Order: sequence, then C-alpha cells, then structure tokens
Amino acid sequence: MSLLSTHDVVVRFGVLHAVSNASLDVEEGRITGLIGPNGAGKTTLFNVITGLQEPTSGKVVLDGRDITGKSPFRRARMGIARTFQKLEAFSSLSARENVLVAAEQRRAWDRSKFDPGQVADEMLDKVGLTGVADYMVGTLPTGTARLVELARALACNPRVLLLDEASSGLTDEETEEMAVLLRSLSAEGLAILLVEHDMSFVMGTCEYIYVLDFGRVISTGTPAQVQSDAKVQAAYLGTLAEAPTEVPA
Amino acid sequence: MRLKLSPKAIAAVVVAALVLYVIVANWAGNPINAKNLTTFLVVGISLGGIYAILAGGLVMTYATTGIFNFAHASIGCFLAFAYWQCSVKWGWPTLVSLVAVLGILAPAIGIGLDRLIMRRLRDASLVVQLMVTVGLMLSFMGITLTIWKPTTARTLPQFFRDSSGVKIGEVTATWHRIITVVVAIGVAALLRWLLYRTRLGISMRAVVDSRSLAGLTGAKPSVVSGTSWAVGCMTAGLAGILIAPETGLVVENLALLIVVAAAAAAIAQLKSIPWAIAGGLLIGLAKSFTAVFEKFDQNWSYAPEAIPAVVLFIALLFLPEARLETGKVKLTKRTERLTKPWEALLGSAVVFAIVFAWAHGWIPWFGTTFGQRSDVWLGRGAYFMVLGVITLSLVPLIGWAGQVSFANFAIAGIGAVLFSHFGGQNGDPIGIVLVMAVCAPLGLLVALPALRLKGLYLALATMAFAEFTDKVIVRHPNMIDPSASGNLFEPLKLFGFRISTDAGDRQAFVIFLAAVFCLFMLGFMLMRRGRFARRWIALSDSPAASATIGVNLTVQKMLVFALSGAVAGFAGCMLGLSSGALRVDSFPLFAGLPLVLLLAVQGVRYPIAAFMAVVGLALFPAVNELLGKPSWLSAIELIGPGIAAVTMAFRPEGAVFYAGRDLAGLLPWRRDAREEKELATAKLREQDIGRDEIGELGLTRAFTADKVSQLDRVLWVADELDETPLVPEASVVGGSPGDGHGPNGNGRTPVGAAPEVTT
Repeated sequence: MSLLSTHDVVVRFGVLHAVSNASLDVEEGRITGLIGPNGAGKTTLFNVITGLQEPTSGKVVLDGRDITGKSPFRRARMGIARTFQKLEAFSSLSARENVLVAAEQRRAWDRSKFDPGQVADEMLDKVGLTGVADYMVGTLPTGTARLVELARALACNPRVLLLDEASSGLTDEETEEMAVLLRSLSAEGLAILLVEHDMSFVMGTCEYIYVLDFGRVISTGTPAQVQSDAKVQAAYLGTLAEAPTEVPA
Repeated sequence: MRLKLSPKAIAAVVVAALVLYVIVANWAGNPINAKNLTTFLVVGISLGGIYAILAGGLVMTYATTGIFNFAHASIGCFLAFAYWQCSVKWGWPTLVSLVAVLGILAPAIGIGLDRLIMRRLRDASLVVQLMVTVGLMLSFMGITLTIWKPTTARTLPQFFRDSSGVKIGEVTATWHRIITVVVAIGVAALLRWLLYRTRLGISMRAVVDSRSLAGLTGAKPSVVSGTSWAVGCMTAGLAGILIAPETGLVVENLALLIVVAAAAAAIAQLKSIPWAIAGGLLIGLAKSFTAVFEKFDQNWSYAPEAIPAVVLFIALLFLPEARLETGKVKLTKRTERLTKPWEALLGSAVVFAIVFAWAHGWIPWFGTTFGQRSDVWLGRGAYFMVLGVITLSLVPLIGWAGQVSFANFAIAGIGAVLFSHFGGQNGDPIGIVLVMAVCAPLGLLVALPALRLKGLYLALATMAFAEFTDKVIVRHPNMIDPSASGNLFEPLKLFGFRISTDAGDRQAFVIFLAAVFCLFMLGFMLMRRGRFARRWIALSDSPAASATIGVNLTVQKMLVFALSGAVAGFAGCMLGLSSGALRVDSFPLFAGLPLVLLLAVQGVRYPIAAFMAVVGLALFPAVNELLGKPSWLSAIELIGPGIAAVTMAFRPEGAVFYAGRDLAGLLPWRRDAREEKELATAKLREQDIGRDEIGELGLTRAFTADKVSQLDRVLWVADELDETPLVPEASVVGGSPGDGHGPNGNGRTPVGAAPEVTT
C-alpha cells in the first residue's frame, strides 16, 4: 500500500480535460518522477494533491485516508509539503524567516517538542543557504529562492514532498547537489514526487516514473522502461515543434 | 458542488426573510395602486439608469485595466461642477457645454490619468493601487471644493425643465427622467458596440483575458488603457451631470456615489458590464421603492441612504469563493532588516520625547506665540495622537497581513460612542476593556463576508461599512442621543491620575496619549520580530504557499482583524475622551480615509510611520492657519493626503523605507545601508541600457527602465509560449469573454477556464 495515491483524478476546465483519470502511487523512501510535455497536467495534478485545485472527480488518498475534500492547510498538517513551479516564496521575509514560519506553524500542531529556530537553521544548512539566511528572499536569485522553498517545505517535516521543477534556475553544480540531497532524503524514508523538465536529472534521480500527456498517464515504469516506450517517444517527439525538450535516447 | 450550494441557499433564505421583515415592519401604508407603482417605476428606473451608467463605466475600466477606480464618482462630481460652470455660470448652450465637458474635458482627464499615473500601477501591489485611486478621489473632491466653494448654493437645472413632460397614467415623467433612461440605454448599447463591434473593443476584451498575450496580437496596450480611462471618465461625468439635479450639486453626495457603483460592481463580480448595469438598476429601484412605499421611523430615518452599502454586503455573501492563486508573487527588490529591540525602544523614546517637548511648548512653532493658543493646540495635539493610535491599528492589518481596511476609523467611532455608555460617564477604566472586547469581534465581523474573496472586495466591504456606520449606526438615538448636549465623558481615573481634556488637564492628557501611543508602537515593533507578524506577512506574500505549509488562512486573518479592531476600539475610547461631546456627524467616511492614505505614504509596514502620518496630517491645518487660511488652501485636508497618496505611484514603498535607507547610510556603523543603496543605484543604471549597446542591437534609441521591463514582459510571454504552447484548437471552445478571470491569465489559459492549467 503506497503512502500517497490518486485514483482516477479528473480535472475539467470547461471542456478542457486538464487531467483525465490520472492514477498514481507515491511510495515511501522512493523518488517518483512525473514527466510529460508542457500542458500535460502535471502542475494541475500537484494542485489537486495539495488541495489548491478541486478535482472534478476522483480521489486523493494519503496513508489509507481519503483526503479529497480536505483544505490545503489540513493536508499540510497531515504531512504533504510542496514547492511551486512559479516562485511562491515569501518575498518580503528573510530566507531564515521563510523557513521559520513553516517550522513555527508545525510547532503549533505537532506534538513533538522542538525549537523552531533550530529547525530553521538546520533546514537552511541542509540546502546550503546558511550564508544568505538574513537576506530578504525578494532580493535573491530565482534558483536560490527555489532552495528557500525547498527548505521551507522540509521544515514542515513532511511525509510526502512534491517538487515542481525543482532544478529550474539552478546551475549544473547546484542541480547535482540537489540530486544528492533528494537521494539522502528518500533514503531517510521520505516519499518524493518530482515534476521535472531536465531529463537527465529525472532519469538519474527517479526510481519510478509516470509519464503524463494531455492529462492521461500514458506510461509508467523504471527510467529505462519509460525511455524505451514508443508512446512516450511519440508524445515528446511528435510534438517536438511545440516542446523542444530533449529526451536522451 | 451540491454540498456547496446549501449554505448559500440558507443564506439566501435568511437574507430574503430579513429584507422582507424590514419591508413589512416599515410599511408606510400607501396603497399599491397604479399611481404609486408608476411613480416607483419611473423614479426607480431613471435613478437606476444613472447608477447603471456610473457602474458600467467603472466595471469596464476595472476589467480592461485591472485598476479599481475609487475616484470614479468624484471625477464625475468634478465634471458635473464643470458642466454647471459652462452651462449656468457662463451661460453656454446646453449642447456646447455637454460637448466641452464630456467630449473634451472628460477624455482629457482620463487619458491624462492613464499616461501619468495608472500605467505605473499595472504591476503594483493591490495596496498601492488602492491608495493611489483613493488618493485621487480625495484630490478630486478637494479640487472641486476649492474651485467651487461650498458656501455658494448651486443648482444644476434639469434638462427641458420648461416642458411639462409625459403623462403616464396619473404620473408625470419629466423629460429629464425620460432622457436619463434613454441615455442609459444608449450608453449600455454603446459600451456593448464598443466592446464587441470595434477592433479596439476586441483588443480591450483580449486584455481582460490576458494582458500579456493581447500585447502580442498587435493590440496596443497604451491605446487600450487610454481609451478605457477616457470612456470611464465620460460615463462618470455623464452620470454626475444627470444625477446632480436630483441630489443637489454637493461634493460629498456626488463622491459618495462610489459606494453605489461599488455595490453594482460587486454584483457584476467586477467584470460583467451587463450585470453592473442590472446592479445599478436594482439599487435605483430599491431606493425608489423605499421612497414610495416605506416610512422609517425617527430612529432609522437615515436607513434608505445605507441601501447601497447593504446591497454590497449581500452581494459579497453570494460571490463565489476566490481560488488560492499561484504565480502572482512579486519579487520586490527591496531590502530591509528587522528592527532590533534596542532600536525599537530608542525610537519609541524619541517619539515620546518629541511629543513631550511639544506639549510643554519647547518646540518653537515658526515664531508664532505658542502660549496664546496653547489650549486649542493642545486639544488638537490630543486629537492627532488619538488618530495616531487608530493609524497604528492599521499596521498589522494592512502592512503585514495585506488586508486593506477603510473601516478602522468607523470602528473607533463606534468605540467612542460605546465608551460614552460603558464607563466614560463615570470615568471607569473598565469601560475601555469592555469597548475593546466589543470592537475586536466587530472588526472581524466587518471582514467576514470578504475574507474568502479577493482583497479588493475587502476594501469595498470596509468602505461600505464605514458609510453604514456614519449613516445608520451612530445616528440611532440609542447610540448618540441628539438632544443630549455637553460633556458625555467624565475624567478617566487611572492609577490615581485624572485623565481628561479639561483645559487644566490637557497638557497631561497629551503626554498620557503620547505614552500610550509609544507603548503601542513599541509593542508592534517588537511584535514584528515574533511569529504572528511573520505568519501574517507570509500570508500576504503568498496565500497559496502559506496554506501548503499548514497555515489556516481564515483563522489568521480573523486574528489580525480582531487585534486591529481591539486597538481601534481603545483609540475610540480616547477619541471620546478627547472630544468630550459626540455628534452624529463626527465620523464621516471621508474623515477616516486620510489616515489610511498617509500611513501608506509613510510606509504601511512600519509602526513608526503611524507617527509620521499624523504629524503630516496635523501639518495640513497648521500650515493653512499659519498662511492665514488663504482660500486656495481651504480643502488642503483633502487634497494634501490625496496628492501624497497619488505619489505612491512613483515611490510605492513609503517614505520610511526610502528615508530610513538614506538616513541609515549616514550612520558610520551602517555600512550595509550604504552598500544597499549603491546596489539599488547600480541596478537602475544597468537597466538604462546605453546608446552604444543599443546600436549594436540595431535599435535606434535608448531604452528606459520602463521600456526594458515592457520588452522583458513580451519576451517572457514568448518564452512561455515556447515552453507551454497553446492548448490544441479542438479543446478551446465555449466560455463567453466576460468569464475571464480578469487580467491574470497566464498565457495559455483558454477563455472561460480557471487560470491554473500550466504544467
């Protein structure tokens, strides 16, 4: 039984099916990838999982409990944390305050005793941002602000971490560091769901991959299986003109 | 969806029952016959027609530019006075006057506003947008009052007043009324024609769906927004000219029509012109209905004036909940550091010392003899310190949580009235606690209908509440007894001190208020370092991200409203003490607005700005008096804050921020502030690409920062399109253009869809 799963999630905007019958499982201690050409419905599915978007039909199940009707903050308290594709950092707070808000918020409902300030410092250290802790996030480069978002999500001590394009805006070096960090997090038992456009990052990091196209799951499997799937190649190559994302053979 | 409908159905039944009760309880007993019904319809439709014109223009401007123009009605007011000047004072023929005012002056004002101010607001935060247009509202009111002194009575005659009109049954409909209806229909048809049948209109509608995409299709954003503001001003002027014969040519009456327009706009969900027109008609009919069939007893005699505010509140109850939007976070290139506790302490001490010295007459006042009028000046000083506390109550609310409220002055007013019943009469300090306990939930109650909606609705709701307070709450004889005269408040006995505004105690009173103000300010400065302030700022920076880290947005908003309400309630008690007697007209809507504006001008996030705001506020009348009250300064108390607020279009962060950065740079140990300023200057320089580089790019002229940011936007959209191509044609069907979610489309959102399809 997987920790987080979606069952036949459908999201319709008017007559546009942003997500159709998407079912996926996110296991503990595993990095799961979610890829697909642009407009495939990946972020929408993230929004459904975190409660920012109400699905037209379908279920979201966390640890055996149906959480479909729960509000976003309740889901967060149940252990779902995320980052955003377009930056949603608290831009007029410092990097440390960004993380601190999340830690303090958890302190308010979590039974375990901890010092939020200490947690904030630990998380900043984890993503390597101790040096910019007192800078306002609005003044930081996008890639760095993304890492602040990651630290903020980690400060929630989540069971499931959803990362929306974690590597965009990062340098190659930082991307590599990110991969190492994610692997160590998942080794500690965290369930990670990753939306990513950097194919080499996805193929190198994820253990299991779902491919979404026009809101449908068209392929699943290990990176090797997915790469050799003809449908996946058609989805990417067939729309090459629109989505010039490179798929390594 | 089925589950969601039921609370609304219940609300609908409750509201309908309440409305029915009010109608039945105040039934005047006039028979429902053909005569009364015709009167009701003729008056209602013509009045509603004017409201419809006003609201239609307001909604069109908002939909196409994304800026809600609080100055809409006061621009109409200004134009109505201008029309009076032409047609009555100068005796120009009606048609010539109309062309001069509506055909030349109105579009000129609209285009001027667009060019000079509104364009800068496109990417500004909601707080800045609101402050600038509210500032414009006060400025236009002030300008009108300055040019056309209210001491002279003016009447604007109706059109064709000499002819007898048309008889409908037993009722005579004047030609003015008939023309009004015809014009309203004409304006509605014209707006529709403009939007649906002209190329420009198509561009305007495209802008509604997606501003950045519309730019790519060849629509010139500048032409679109210019036209929109010009047409908006023309509708405002037309409505003003048509309604002035009914309401009288009085600035306050005309400017207050903004509440009517806002109510109609709320019914239209700020985007549908047909619904805005329907909303205007509804309010007109409701007013005419109460005039013909209702008779409110003495206690509620002002109730009909509150109809627009009530309609607005009811409309808010039934609006669909706003989704938590993502992708709207603005990366302000602003740096600041937390105030250290010793700095906060020092700042508070300095403020206290300044007021203390002033109260003792140690600060020379431009050579005038302070002692001679010290009583008057001390009384004013006390009043302004109270206003300072009210302003402080806005800092956590607007500055941190980003919830724009115009209601705090009204809440303080209610607090003052309550204190006169609860403890003010015998100087019992426990009354203050009681008043705070009432005002905290009151602040919350005002905000409740708007909490689940977009921030703009909150501003509208609080403004409507301020109007409702002025028109209904404080006018009820149980609140303020109009026959009672003299002092309602006995000196407050606190720790053995006697606190009152009696001439002998006044100096001590000012010092007491200064101490109170400084304590609150210190409290807020320290609070900014704590977790609640952090959480509120986070909530305002990104609601979606706050929710996904487990913040219960509704609870946090309620907390901040309760805190703000309690502080405003406390200030209310002091307001009562400082004024002694209360009058029913002590708390007009327009008296509270300058506080909000000046706080924003000084920097809405900083508690110290509240002090600077009231110093500014106090300077306007002081300067006026020092200059010998020249007639051109008679409306300085409106124009001053108004123009100050308008300058926020140019310096959005507030004076405390800019001054703080520059002044801190002078301190030898604040190297960080100097570096920061250098950084900011360097960034600006970088943005002004030099001519040389431009030549290399094959361009012919230098680009200003503004142009570069425009170019950035275009390139960004192009990138977006590359990355996320439009949805295949087959799936883009349906949805009327009015369904767009305002100007926040993110490029590939199909018309009619919710804006979060990007993946």
